[in-house]
Amino acid sequence: MSKGFASNRLTLLALGVVACFMGVGVRLVFLQVVDRDLLLKFVDKARRQIVVEHARRGTILDTHGNLLATSRSELTIAVDPWMLVDYLAEEKNEQRRARKRNEQEVRRAQFAALLGLPSAEVDAIFEPKMRPVSMDKDKRDGTPDGLVKDRWVKVKEGVDEPTFARIEQLNLQGVTFERVYRRVYPSDGLAAHVIGYLNKEGKPVTGAEHNFDLYLKGQDGWIESEKDGARRELAQFRSREVPVQDGNDVVLTIDSVIQHIIEDELKTIAAKFSPRFATIIASDPQTGAILGLANYPSFDLNNYSKAPVEAQRNYAITDRIEPGSTFKIVAVGAALNEGLVTPQTSFDCGSPTIEYKGRTIKLPKEDEVYGMLSVSDIVAHSSNRGAAQLAMLMGEDKFYEYARRFGFGQATKFQLGREVLGTLAPPSEWDGLTISRMPMGHSVDATPLQIHMAMSAVANGGALLRPQIIKEIRDSQGRVIRVFGPEKREQVIRPSTAALLAQLLTGVVRVGTAKGFDIPGFEVAGKTGTTQKLIDGKYVNNHHTGSFVGFFPASRPQVVLSVIVDDGHVTDGDRIAWGRKVAAPSFHHIAEQLIQYLEIKPVDSAPRGLLAMQGGVL
Amino acid sequence: MRPPPARAFVSQLIALTLLLLVFSGSLGLGAVWVRQEISGTANRSHALENRIADVERRLDEVNAEVAAALNPHSLLKQNLAMQLGLSSPNEIQVMRVDGSPELRLASKRNREVFNPVGSRAGAEGVNGAPYTFRIITASLR
Repeated sequence: MSKGFASNRLTLLALGVVACFMGVGVRLVFLQVVDRDLLLKFVDKARRQIVVEHARRGTILDTHGNLLATSRSELTIAVDPWMLVDYLAEEKNEQRRARKRNEQEVRRAQFAALLGLPSAEVDAIFEPKMRPVSMDKDKRDGTPDGLVKDRWVKVKEGVDEPTFARIEQLNLQGVTFERVYRRVYPSDGLAAHVIGYLNKEGKPVTGAEHNFDLYLKGQDGWIESEKDGARRELAQFRSREVPVQDGNDVVLTIDSVIQHIIEDELKTIAAKFSPRFATIIASDPQTGAILGLANYPSFDLNNYSKAPVEAQRNYAITDRIEPGSTFKIVAVGAALNEGLVTPQTSFDCGSPTIEYKGRTIKLPKEDEVYGMLSVSDIVAHSSNRGAAQLAMLMGEDKFYEYARRFGFGQATKFQLGREVLGTLAPPSEWDGLTISRMPMGHSVDATPLQIHMAMSAVANGGALLRPQIIKEIRDSQGRVIRVFGPEKREQVIRPSTAALLAQLLTGVVRVGTAKGFDIPGFEVAGKTGTTQKLIDGKYVNNHHTGSFVGFFPASRPQVVLSVIVDDGHVTDGDRIAWGRKVAAPSFHHIAEQLIQYLEIKPVDSAPRGLLAMQGGVL
Repeated sequence: MRPPPARAFVSQLIALTLLLLVFSGSLGLGAVWVRQEISGTANRSHALENRIADVERRLDEVNAEVAAALNPHSLLKQNLAMQLGLSSPNEIQVMRVDGSPELRLASKRNREVFNPVGSRAGAEGVNGAPYTFRIITASLR
């Protein structure tokens, strides 16, 4: 071999290498510069994907951390029947294909059993079918006949995770799924009106679900990345990522046990009196925290769609009733606070008329005949005429001012919203009789919650508080990020007046209208209320709203409790649904249970029974 | 010094080109290896994320079931079904004591065990008085 030939060969090789590089370079220029936009569009379409990660909705807890509402994942199971066809077509050996087919048929039967469906129905679902599409979309299978393979046939919705795990183990060809989160309420109907629910579209409709949605819903995240041919994410090609932020947990002030106690009592009321509605509210007087709030009728949160609209109303804040004699705390409290009377000051409650500002005014009727009554007797026996005279002593403007201060005619600012204000007309709109009728709770209406909070003001030293239903917010890691404390709205009466009024209210159960409903040693203070219902503009004799609103122990109140029964049906006696008949027994029964549950200690040494006297054995 | 002949230059050029190819090839292979590692790690991390999400889903499921089993209504139903007869005490059945009930119970038990009046009749001390002990468990103080 000559040197010239070798030299030429090397030159040729070098030129070849350079030519190859140039070829690659030219191709790169085409790919990266000339056809760049076209290719990028194609790649983007084929490989790029944006995956949205849905935030998990926060849970709703009671004051002790018990779950009231949570989210549970559920699966919608579907089938791609053509996948099984493709799977079997891959196997060329006839015998092995038959064996695989048999295996799949056995698994399909197990699949049907797990889902609780008839095998025949599942077999029909697995039958490959075509579905019609518009001609411009029919480009998938190469035959433009307006039909494409139906690759998604729904089998069942709402399949739980354990069942799905067993389905996955079957390794059945063609099974696909879609995971969704569904709201579940472990306690079914407990505190239904407080918790509220999410509808089928996942939109919060009522209650805490609706009002605290901002805290609960969280923020969806998303990932921009690429996918492979099997549509699996190629995690290494993630280009942008916005992390998902799960919703916060909302802790309510509701105590599940107290809520259960009052709901149980509501069932008893419903069975005995078949009322139009009934409401029971329990709260902590010192903080305004609602410990339990329940209405009859109610509904099951997990089956809200079957509940009538009436059952979904939170009557405690959406319905107005005349407070009746429970409103007398305004007249008595105001007169005591203004120093116009003492508990011993007497009034003539026997006379049917009275001179007021130069006019003779007809006083309201009494349920019993009274003569001279002291202020403490007026409270205990719920004298309408006595309350009217106390209001007259103050005058319209002062009385109206106190009624406002007790929270009537104003929103309580309850955090669940949608509350109605109630009606408290200003003195300029009163007629000549209003000053004698309003003190007994007529010519005014209020929500059960307004009445409850007014009594709560007496229990906590005269301060009107905002009713609290939310205790705190916790992030998804369980850290407390916001605490809701008591909010004082107004100082209605002086603490000393409130304490005095509380003692007067104990007379109601000792010697007054609810005599016999006292709990020895626990100083139950309360006020009965019975009001005729106003139907078609007239007070009727056969429809009443009975209530008992009170607290205990009077000298150091720990629980405020309201029982309101609207249009209860009483079959015995005078057939009137007096507060002492329809509400006071329930108040008494609930109070007995709350004393045990909340470990409330008696304030004095009450006479004890035999067993208690043997307590020394402990 | 004489300049190198042309073919020596070509040889050097080829050698350098080959060297460059080997070097860039190594770089390329290194880059591929790194990409592969990144890909593997990303996929493992992705799998772990999925696993965590799966565990969290199962936890939610279990929590919901526990909450359903522990709500007062379910517990009362269990009480009835299992005929346990559990109920809240009535006020009349409650004896409230001042101080620690544990100390009180310990004291009572000690009296039963060591006071010979009832349980060990006949045992007497030096002066004929019954033995008495007052032992309160220190840990209960």
